[in-house]
Amino acid sequence: MPSQSIWMIRLSLIYLAITIIIGGLLLIHKAVPVHPAVWGLLPVHFELAIWGWIIQFVMGTAYWMFPRFMKGKPRGSTNIATLMVYLFNGGLLLLLLSIFDVYSSILAPAGRGLLLFSVTLFAALIWNRILSYRKRTHDH
Amino acid sequence: MPPITRWFIKTGIFWFIIGMILAFLAELPILSTGALLLPVYWHMLVVGWITQIIIGVSIWMFPRKKRDRMKEQSKITVASFVLLNAGLVIRFLSEPFIPLLHGDFLISVSVIGSSLLQVLGILLYIIEIWPRLQPKSSRKKKPGRS
Repeated sequence: MPSQSIWMIRLSLIYLAITIIIGGLLLIHKAVPVHPAVWGLLPVHFELAIWGWIIQFVMGTAYWMFPRFMKGKPRGSTNIATLMVYLFNGGLLLLLLSIFDVYSSILAPAGRGLLLFSVTLFAALIWNRILSYRKRTHDH
Repeated sequence: MPPITRWFIKTGIFWFIIGMILAFLAELPILSTGALLLPVYWHMLVVGWITQIIIGVSIWMFPRKKRDRMKEQSKITVASFVLLNAGLVIRFLSEPFIPLLHGDFLISVSVIGSSLLQVLGILLYIIEIWPRLQPKSSRKKKPGRS
């Protein structure tokens, strides 16, 4: 497993643990009020579950498991893949900060922008690996 | 495909279908409950379906560090499956009644219990899968395989 996948999947598991604990707290708060500030964590719960956990886990696993190139680097540029990991998690952290009204007018678009950049890099890295080994043998 | 993976995937498909039935019923004016079942529907899809599919497939596909520890590890995954799905069942049965029976002891206990069960189920999955995230070079090579 490449280090970029290891880090994306590890981070996604950390985010999963955080979002399930927040979700558990939100659920309890619905029945037994814990603290008025707990509802403020709802957008954090959403963003971590969708971006931090599901999307990041799928991206990390796809980068690892999709067919590899037979010549050159097996998964393309490792520098671009590392950049993808940094941009994705940097973007997610900026997005989370924006939820707490920390420079939200700047951080929210900056966070979404970094996520967009990261996903674009992912698409570029994975695009030519979407094929079967059999087809590639015939083509070349 | 190991049995625990089949359980996770089949249960995931079950929650997917139930979630879609709820979504369908919510569109019928005579049966619509407004926003009452919305959190149930979303959690059936995101936790019951997507998360359980991811868990099941990763337990199957992610390489184990030591194959002789399979038996011990499978206890963790079985516990994860049982706790997570017990938590989901209790949640889906009790959450819609929170606004109707607010303050009811049984509802409060059910909600707290379901929350703890789901958290424990997910944490056990993380304990199972975390050690498997390693570079190929550090995995123990099986005799006879390159």
